[in-house]
This record gives sequence, structure tokens and C-alpha cells, in this order.
Amino acid sequence: MQMDDAFRDGAGKRSADPRRHEAFPGPGGVNAPVAVADTLRARSHRAMGTEFAVYLDAADDAQAQACFDIVLDEIDRLELTFSRFHSSSELSRLNRHAAEGPVVTDPEVFQLLASALDVSEKTGGAFDITVGQLTRSWGFAERQPRIPEARELAAAREQVGWRNVKLDAAWRTVLFARPGLQLDLGAIAKGYAVDRAIEMLRSVGVSALVDAGSSSMAATGEAFVSGWKVSIASPVDRALTICEVELGKRALSTSGVREQSFVHDGRTYSHLLDPRDTDPLDSATGAQATARQVLQVTVLAPSSMLADALSTAMFVLGYEHGSAALAQFTDCSALWIYSGADGITCLGHRWPGDDFLSLNTATHGQT
Amino acid sequence: MTFYHLTQRLMDRREFIGITAAGLGALSLGLQDCNSPHSVAPSDWVNVGVIGVGGRGQHMIRMLLRVPGVRITGLCDIYEPRFAEGRKVTGEPTAVYTEYRKLLEARDIDAVLVATPLGLHAEHVIAALDSGRPVYGEKSLGRTVEDCNCIRDAVRRTGRIFQVGLQYHYAPWYQEALRRIGEGRIGKVTHIYACWHRNNSWRRPVPRGQETQLERLLNWRLYREWSGGLLAELGSHQINFANTAFGAMPESAIASGGIDYWKDGREIPDNMQVIFRYPGGRTLEASYITTNRLDGAQERIFGTGGSVVLTHTDATYFKEPSDPNSAVPPEIAIQHKLITGPTYSAEQPYHGKGESPISGEAEDADLLACREFIDCIRNKRRPKTDEQVGWTEGVTVALGNRALEEGRRIEFSEYLGAAASASQQPPERNTQS
Repeated sequence: MQMDDAFRDGAGKRSADPRRHEAFPGPGGVNAPVAVADTLRARSHRAMGTEFAVYLDAADDAQAQACFDIVLDEIDRLELTFSRFHSSSELSRLNRHAAEGPVVTDPEVFQLLASALDVSEKTGGAFDITVGQLTRSWGFAERQPRIPEARELAAAREQVGWRNVKLDAAWRTVLFARPGLQLDLGAIAKGYAVDRAIEMLRSVGVSALVDAGSSSMAATGEAFVSGWKVSIASPVDRALTICEVELGKRALSTSGVREQSFVHDGRTYSHLLDPRDTDPLDSATGAQATARQVLQVTVLAPSSMLADALSTAMFVLGYEHGSAALAQFTDCSALWIYSGADGITCLGHRWPGDDFLSLNTATHGQT
Repeated sequence: MTFYHLTQRLMDRREFIGITAAGLGALSLGLQDCNSPHSVAPSDWVNVGVIGVGGRGQHMIRMLLRVPGVRITGLCDIYEPRFAEGRKVTGEPTAVYTEYRKLLEARDIDAVLVATPLGLHAEHVIAALDSGRPVYGEKSLGRTVEDCNCIRDAVRRTGRIFQVGLQYHYAPWYQEALRRIGEGRIGKVTHIYACWHRNNSWRRPVPRGQETQLERLLNWRLYREWSGGLLAELGSHQINFANTAFGAMPESAIASGGIDYWKDGREIPDNMQVIFRYPGGRTLEASYITTNRLDGAQERIFGTGGSVVLTHTDATYFKEPSDPNSAVPPEIAIQHKLITGPTYSAEQPYHGKGESPISGEAEDADLLACREFIDCIRNKRRPKTDEQVGWTEGVTVALGNRALEEGRRIEFSEYLGAAASASQQPPERNTQS
């Protein structure tokens, strides 16, 4: 059975109003909580290579405007801190100088790097902020993906490896143990920005949901954490809903091939590269194509930063290894969506509810 | 040659050639050693106390903590939630104070950062100087001419290191622009157009239920008592650049503006345009709006032989087509004469690419300013943006605002005369603006 057929029999949920998807660009659409539907205000903002959206329930126009302003300013600040494209960013400064000797940085940047390396450690390197050179060699950085030559790939691998990033908490320094290393926080900084935005809105008592490019989101305020359902869309047809989930007090992040991928010789290659690979033809994403392939992973975690990083790691690791790794993280859940010759498979680890089990044409499981 | 080719060749010649980034690379030499704290001797560590831990204060704490050998040892604010926010930024349980004099009495503070509302700069900066410590005072220097005089005099009286927070003064691309302007590379600079255009309310949200108590505290920028408005908070950097490039303060100012869009009870104009006249018939035209950000923040410096456009991250140079050095070939000049008609192509705005000599190694201007401050403390030297630079900037801002408030042309000589006598006979300290 083709994947699309799996949903046409009505097992999947089709959004009643397709325009909702444009107005509320969640992974598959977000249904506004009834309690705030009349006073809900939204604003989008382009930053960090994606579209941030802020939905909030403010007392009046002036407060809403002020909230949008401080949140969007904060997101811009974080872009100027963590972007590798801005030469004056703190990340660029570290990339320029950390191979020459230890570079002191501020606690915010240090903590983000420490969190990133912690995820690397606990996922066996499936998440790796040094993967940038590898991403570039596959052309994903320039959004012109291609199969790199083995020689080029070997050279890129020389400049990859999270273990080569040495953090010294006592001095708050960053050191690259290998020249050519470049940090890329693209898979964690957006999540951190969502956390910061939520933190600012919470401090002024405003209920809100903040969403980075439909892939990372978190909420604050009772009406938003328990009344607002996020639907997880099918990776092959965004109008179809796999399941719905309430954010609760956790943050959500989705990673998938839909964002950037290409097919070569019948295999789908995703921008979510496995940093541990030695041979591109044995890459996890490539190898899975022969049997079953991860199309999308959604993670719920206590912070958006962690959800962001873990969704990448869980994509790379797949369900079996991912579930084992996820056990090391408190209060984290994941839902994998696989494709295969026989259709679609959903596999959850500590996933809340069992709505996705209703996909009667798909195989499923839960741990 | 067609008309199109003629204009294209003329356009091409607008772009500077033969200028390399070699001279600029030298600016970054010696910075490699300044990234590591290991080489900082224990005696060279600088403990900084911060008065004012709002958005700007927190940002500057992050920047200071990127300078090796700096620790934040005191946080002072009258709004208690700032303590938790500040401690998060410092990454440790830093000592907190609700009374700035208590912070100044602490023994573990070597230097002070003042990032309080503008109307409180004079009180806090002068008290910090009197405590015998080096002071980094946020811009603008002071809210009024009197405040500026008092701060300048206090710096001179105490002999302490003082740096005003005009961070773009330290940006290499700004320094390079000043060097080129000084060398006459863009001819005689006659006009500067500066704008800082935003599309936001400039308002901060106030926690629900506390609007009455906290509105003026958190949104001090919107109220006259504490704020110098857009000209002080944004324009001060651009005014400092114009004062430096022209090597003078303005002679007069006229202004326009009002509260025309964000009618939310604020007292500060949400848009403002000021024209400053400088000696020698030179002009700074400055525009601040909060309803459109197409132009963003930039300074466009117009000289008789070229132009430079400065932003917060780079500089772009353009050559004038009629510059004597452009050496337009005679055959083009001959053809050029043949063009006739009611419109003249050279009057069209130039949309081509200019030359941007620095793009790859830009550093954050705030970080550069913090590095300068700490270096001045360690080496007992005067910062580039000292009290005099701050005074010219602060007074220019204050009088630009006065032009709008009084709705008339302000002659600087009226006030600079008073200031000159004030510097001989220090006025009583103005602690309440």
C-alpha cells in the first residue's frame, strides 16, 4: 500500500480548514484554545534562517505590541550571538580563535555549548555541533545538496568531532583540540531562542505559544499549555494528522527529511547527517532506505533547547538506539515516523496518549 | 557605445579600486592573546559592580564576561526581579544591592558600570567616580547640559578613568571610515544623513496587575523625567560619529517630531528629525522613526569625491562619478556631452555595489568597548571615548532635544558659553534631573 493510501481511508485526520495551517504553522497545525480565541494575537518574524511565530493572549494592544517587541528583539539578539553567518557574532569569534588557544566566553554561550556537548555524550555523538563541515560537503549548508566525493568527505571528517571541543567550566573557556573545527548551533539555538522568549513572556504574566519554523515550540500560561493541541503532520502530506498532542509544560521539537533531503539511486539523503559515519553509502539515512527509513521524529522535553537537540539525535539514532539514549534524559518522550515498503510505521517512546495507534493501516508500537 | 554602456561605465567608475584590507588587518593584530584568561595575572583581574541591571546592563555584563580576567561582583537595581535575571547572566550568585551607595561601599569592586536610566547617569556616575573607581557610563552622557557638565567636571576633579558607552567608536570599520575621511579620500565631507528607523513600539511589557506601580520604572525611556528619547538612546552614536568626523560640535539645531503613532500615554516623541548645522556650513540630518524599518540604522556620509555608508556591521564606499580622480576617459566625456533631454541619468539614485573593505573579521562593537575599558584600567590609560567625547555627544543630544521641546532654532553658543564658565566654576552637583 502506498503511504498516501494509508490515510485516505479516513484513519488519518485531515484538517477541517486547510487555512488553519497557514494561520497557525505548527508541524501540522495548531488549534487555538477556546479560552483565548477572541483575544489571540499573532506575529511572525524571520530570524535564524527560519520563521518565528509568537501567539499570545495580552490584556490590550499596547501590551501585546510590547510583548512582541521584546521577544522579537531577544530572538534577534540570540541570532547575533549564535549565528555562524554574522562575523561579529560570539559563535564566529569562537570559530575564529578557539583553535589558537582557550577563548573565554560569557555564561550564556558557555552553558549552551555545555548542554550541546552533554547531548552529544549521551547520544554517542548522534548530535554534534561540529558537524558543519560535513553538512557543507554534502551541500546542505548552501541548500544545494549533492553526493560528495570520498576524498572531500574524508577531509571534512578531519574537521568534525564534538570530543575536540574542550570546555573548561572553571575558566569558562572554549578550546578546539583540532584546527579547522567549526561550531554550528543550527540544531539547538532555535530551541534556546524559544525558551528565552517563553521565559520573558512568563515573567510578565502573559500566556503565549512560541514557534520556530514549525519545528520547535513551547508554551506558557494555563490556556496554552493544556488547551492548545499541536497536531503532528504526516511527513509526506502535511494536511494529514498523525496525532495530536498537548504541549503541557514541555516543549516540542520535530525533525524530518521534509526540511531538506534529496534522492540518489533510490536512497533519500537528509540534511540530518549521522556525524559518526565513515562511509556516506553506509550512512544511517542511506542504509535505512533499503528497509525502513526515519521520515520524522518529534520529541517532547522539559526545554525547547533540549527538544531541539534531541529531535536531531533521535532522527539519526532511530527508534531502537534512540529509545535507549532517551532513557538518560528526564521527562523526555519521542515519536518516530518510519516509512518502508509496507507503508508507514509510528513508534513512540513514553509518548503521551495513544492517538497515533488509531492509524490502522500503519504498524505501530510504544515503549 | 550605446547610452546604456556609457552609463554602465560611468557607474563602474564610482566604485573605489586599489584599496586593500591590509591596513585594516593590522587593527586585529594582538587580539589573539586577549581571548584567554590564563595569561591574566591575578593582580590584573577586574571585579566590576553594575548599577542598573535592566536589558542594557545585562547585555553589557555578557560582553564584560567575554573579556579575560573580568568578574561581576555586585549587581544593583531597585527592581528586584533584576537580581535573578542578573545572576543568571553572571552565572553565579553575585552579591546584590538595592542601594547603589552600598554597592560603592563594597570592598570587592574595582570598577563600576552604570547602565541606569539617562536622568540618573549624573548621580550614579559621579558617586562612582567619587568612590575612587574607574567608571563605564552608558550613553548618552547626561540628560541635560548641566548633567553633562557635572559628569565631565567630576571626571577631571577625581582623575579617574571614565569611558562613555559609545561602542561604535571602537568598531574597526568606523575607525577606518574616520581615517579615510581625514585623508580626504571622499573629498570634503559636507553632509551626513543618519537614521535609526525601527518598526516597534519601544515599549516594554509590564507584569499584569502591576501596571500602575511599574509602568514608569520599566518604561522610563518613554517619559521625560528620565529619558532623552530616540535622539539620546539611538542618535547618540550617530551624533558622536558626526562630531568626530567634522571635528566639531554643531553651532545650531532645528527639530521636528511628535507623538503621532504610538499614542499610549508616552511623553517622548515616537518620531523625530533634527538638523544640526556645523561650522563651515556642514550638516548632520538625523531621522528617527518607529513605524518602518526599511532603512534601519545607518549613517550616510557624503563628500565631494565619494560617499561612505556605515551600518552596525560594515562600511561601504562609493566614488562620485565626477570626482577629478576618476579620470573619465575623453571618449566617454565626448559622448557624454551628446546626451541631452529633460532627465539626466547621473541624477538617479545609485544602486550599484560599493566597496566594503572589512567584512570577514568584524567584532562586536560592545565587546570592543568593554575590552578597551578593561585595558585602560590595567594600563592606566585614557579611553578613546573619554569624558570630553562624551560631553560633546551628550550636549549635542540635549540641545537637539531642546530644539524640539522649545520649537525653535537653538544656538549652541547660548549654552556652550554657560558650559565654559561652568567648567571653570563647577556648578552644584545635579542629582535630580
